[in-house]
Amino acid sequence: MITAFKRVFDRVTGAGEAAVTVPPMDGAFKANMALENAPVWAEIPTPDNLTLWRGAVYLSSGPVLYRSDTGGQLTEVARYEAAITALAAGDTLAVAVAGRGVMLRSERGETELVSPRAFSGAGCLTAMSFAKDGTLVLASGSTRHTPEDWARNLMERRMDGAVWAVKPGEPPRRLAEGLAWPSGLMCQEDKGRVIVSEAWRNRLIALPMVGGGPDVVLDNLPAYPGRLMPSETGAYLCCFAPRSQLIEFVLREPAYRTRMMAEVPPQFWVAPALRSGDSYREPLQGGAVKQLGILKPWAPTRSYGLLVALDQSFLPRRSFHSRADGTRHGITSACATPEGLRVTSYGGDVVLTLPDEVQKGEQS
Amino acid sequence: MSVSDTYAKWRYRSVPDHLLGEVLSKNWIDNAIPFAFLLIVVALFGSLIPGFLSPAGFSDLARQLGEVALISIGLGLVMLAGGIDLSVGSTFAMANFVSLALINSLGWPVWAVVPAVLCVGALIGLMNGILIGYLRLRAFLTTLATLIIVRAMVDLLILSYAREVAMSMTMSEAWFYLGEGFILGIPVNFLLLVAVAILVHLVLSRMRFGWHILAVGGSRRSAYNAGISVRRTVCATYVISGVMAAMAGIFYAARLGSVGPDTGIGLEVTVLTACVLGGISLGGGRGSVFKAFIGTVIVLMVTNSLIRLNMPSGSTPLVLGMLLLLAVAVDIRWVKNRHKLLSRVYVSPTYFDLPEDPSANVDATSSYALNDKFRDVTAIGLGDLDGPEDMIFDSNDNLYTGGRQGDIMRFFAPDYTRSEVFVHLGGFPLGLAMDKDDNLHACVAGMGLYMVTPEREIKCLSDETNRSLFSIIDDSRIRMADDLDIAADGRVYFSEATIRYGVSDWAVDALEARGNGRILAYDPKDGSTRTVLSGRVFPNGICMVDDGESLLFAETWACRISRFWFAGPRKGQVEPVIEDIPGYPDNINRASDGTYWVALAGMRSPAFDLSLKMPGFRKRMAQRVAMDEWLYPNLNTGCVLKMTLDGTVTESLWDLSGEAHPQITSIREHKGALYLGGINNNRIGRYELPEADQTWTSQNEYWGRT
Repeated sequence: MITAFKRVFDRVTGAGEAAVTVPPMDGAFKANMALENAPVWAEIPTPDNLTLWRGAVYLSSGPVLYRSDTGGQLTEVARYEAAITALAAGDTLAVAVAGRGVMLRSERGETELVSPRAFSGAGCLTAMSFAKDGTLVLASGSTRHTPEDWARNLMERRMDGAVWAVKPGEPPRRLAEGLAWPSGLMCQEDKGRVIVSEAWRNRLIALPMVGGGPDVVLDNLPAYPGRLMPSETGAYLCCFAPRSQLIEFVLREPAYRTRMMAEVPPQFWVAPALRSGDSYREPLQGGAVKQLGILKPWAPTRSYGLLVALDQSFLPRRSFHSRADGTRHGITSACATPEGLRVTSYGGDVVLTLPDEVQKGEQS
Repeated sequence: MSVSDTYAKWRYRSVPDHLLGEVLSKNWIDNAIPFAFLLIVVALFGSLIPGFLSPAGFSDLARQLGEVALISIGLGLVMLAGGIDLSVGSTFAMANFVSLALINSLGWPVWAVVPAVLCVGALIGLMNGILIGYLRLRAFLTTLATLIIVRAMVDLLILSYAREVAMSMTMSEAWFYLGEGFILGIPVNFLLLVAVAILVHLVLSRMRFGWHILAVGGSRRSAYNAGISVRRTVCATYVISGVMAAMAGIFYAARLGSVGPDTGIGLEVTVLTACVLGGISLGGGRGSVFKAFIGTVIVLMVTNSLIRLNMPSGSTPLVLGMLLLLAVAVDIRWVKNRHKLLSRVYVSPTYFDLPEDPSANVDATSSYALNDKFRDVTAIGLGDLDGPEDMIFDSNDNLYTGGRQGDIMRFFAPDYTRSEVFVHLGGFPLGLAMDKDDNLHACVAGMGLYMVTPEREIKCLSDETNRSLFSIIDDSRIRMADDLDIAADGRVYFSEATIRYGVSDWAVDALEARGNGRILAYDPKDGSTRTVLSGRVFPNGICMVDDGESLLFAETWACRISRFWFAGPRKGQVEPVIEDIPGYPDNINRASDGTYWVALAGMRSPAFDLSLKMPGFRKRMAQRVAMDEWLYPNLNTGCVLKMTLDGTVTESLWDLSGEAHPQITSIREHKGALYLGGINNNRIGRYELPEADQTWTSQNEYWGRT
């Protein structure tokens, strides 16, 4: 009863649950130009998922899977009928294709591990990770939407994501459901758990591999967390889009959201994006009006580039940015190679190399 | 149109939401709470006590008011200067005793008694004033001490001389008239009170000394820094308070003629309650005579009514004390939260439905097709300019433009590389125009319409217009003059984009989408300014049509251009010329081929267009989201359109990269080139028009010279 009253009070006054505050980019999230200044390793439209398999970097871009040499020269390996939505490297290379399930690639050819009808949401896999015993953990963003429709999933405020574990020859096992767009995975066998980034709740959770309730390991992120990669010192977290007061506000305005989804083309929604500023028909916020021909780096923006270095206990230690005035937005994956950390900027159409000294924070 | 749209349209058309914010922004709104309280008191006791609202009751009240309200006004002045005077009750008693002693036992005439007693009051006030104003003692403790000392003196005097004073009686008619007389059925002292109140009100609101008091109370340090003699001002308020208390004492003496030892006891609490209840802030700087008056009326009504209700003794001070507490609490909370409340309610969006955006599905043949013609624009004054909203040429081809620093800059022909500050206006010049004698006319934001002669003489042509009958905010002042053009007969027509916002927050007006703007006409023959068209949505660019009786004006947030006839057979009519511009039109100017150039400051975006149909959404956004994060019209991409008088767009010119000219607020064609200005830009752009008439200038076009 009191909760109901409080909810009504909050909605009228904009307090509590209805507050639109966003954590500031401060402390470990203090803004810099590290991604904006990073050297380009490869230029390719909409690079999505990077992974290191058998010493070579594999990269997905739309429906095409590429392999690259160290110089950034990309060769097409395979082309699928729909977009590749996630990659994972183990003994084989797992490839998730939108609406098609998961294929396992090896030199012996390609086999289907998960069929599109294996479970609801098998067509919307956003991230995958191999455990050491060969189990493949899958993050399914939604049972209703495709991966490209992630903005609609957010705007409908759905929480229909799930995490599944698959072992060849066994039926898939569900580790958790009711998640708000799980979009990144990292297996921690030594602790018997898998870390999941739950994008719409702006947090990382830990799920026990044997099943059970989740623990929150990192909360209150200033951006939507995406894919996770283990690193020597902990992990890298790719944040694919920033949170903003306006979007938080729109998320609390069901009438406007409904009409916006019905009447406005998706690229012009007031919603987070992987890239922005391409068209004058996109929404603009007050602080983003150019002054003396310059867009301020702190301007409110729908897209942003953010890569976060986490320590062993998943606390943010440092971060690498491309700000509102930059172009390397929509960081979707990262992959450690001997030459440095490769980072995909989906919105900037480039793969970057983050040199070691930058990673360690010796310069920015 | 959907049901919710229809509802929103009628809901926002029928309820004038914006008035609430305008009322709250008025200074007199501080009177609202005490006035409401007064109504409650009248209603309550009027129903409890028979005959409460009778003429006799009012007459009694008026006579009492004539005494107590005088003291309230005196104390109010002290409080306005940031002090407090607790000694008024004792001063009152002293005045009572001295006047009776002078008139009864010494037999002085009334004309000598009154000034003498006033001097006694002034003396006590002066003592307070010197101690507090010059020696900087604490007002509360000092006047508390004065209260005790003066009270003790009165008691000693009564002990020694009470018999002598009480035994003899004066027979002066004038003296009784003071205490009991009526003029036209109104008690004498009440009329005097009204006179004093009007005088003090005029001093406070219209005169230097009154402003000094308010300044000292508002911020002592700032007042000192502004050169006000703080000590003298503070001292003077105590003297005035003493004189007022003494004047009240004279009336009391004349009315009752008694020297009882309880005269004026507790009066300071009554008066203090009255002042605070009326809304005079304890912190100083906020208040008025009317507030002191209304507070006194409330307090007297309450105390009188309690006595007439036969309440047990002690209940009156109890109620007074509780009222004082309540008033102090309301005072603190209201002063603290008024601005918050105002900022929450002032922005009041309304329903606005834009026609479909014609640029949504353009192909390459459309006149709105995107191109990059402005890529090779050359820059003038790059880095020297900050906000050239408009530019204009004189007969010698020199270019003039404004800037945020408040200057008019002049760039010299022919290459416009040399420049100078032509004049410093002190406000941000927006629209510019030139008359036939090369007098530069400028709309200056926040200041009005100004003229600069070629000899650099600055003249203010107009900074106010007629006050409209029913507007709550004072719309006679011109806050946001935007663009102008000069008719053939010399009259200047200029737009005021919005009457609700100033130059720093004009973009907030976009969120409202209400017709807050108007078009004004300045007539140089008699120097008058009249509002000729009001209720327009951010009227911006103005351009004369060469028929001499009509003009084109752009309504920025409404994305339309209309034609207005100011003379001739169609005088007063408005006809839309083009209603579905894909962006936000700013200035309009003539082109050499008889058509018109239109600058678009920004382009429409579907998400913002949708929000225009949902005023509640925008209202909540204004309340909850920081201003920099608001959804805005897209002002980062501008373009220039060429339009004929019948509204056909023949051409559009774009800067797609948005680096040189992201927002274009003005265009001016001159001798085969197009000049581009932007209110947020740091340059003027020059775009060559090879096909245009290379000799055409707007000076020749307007004033027919060669």
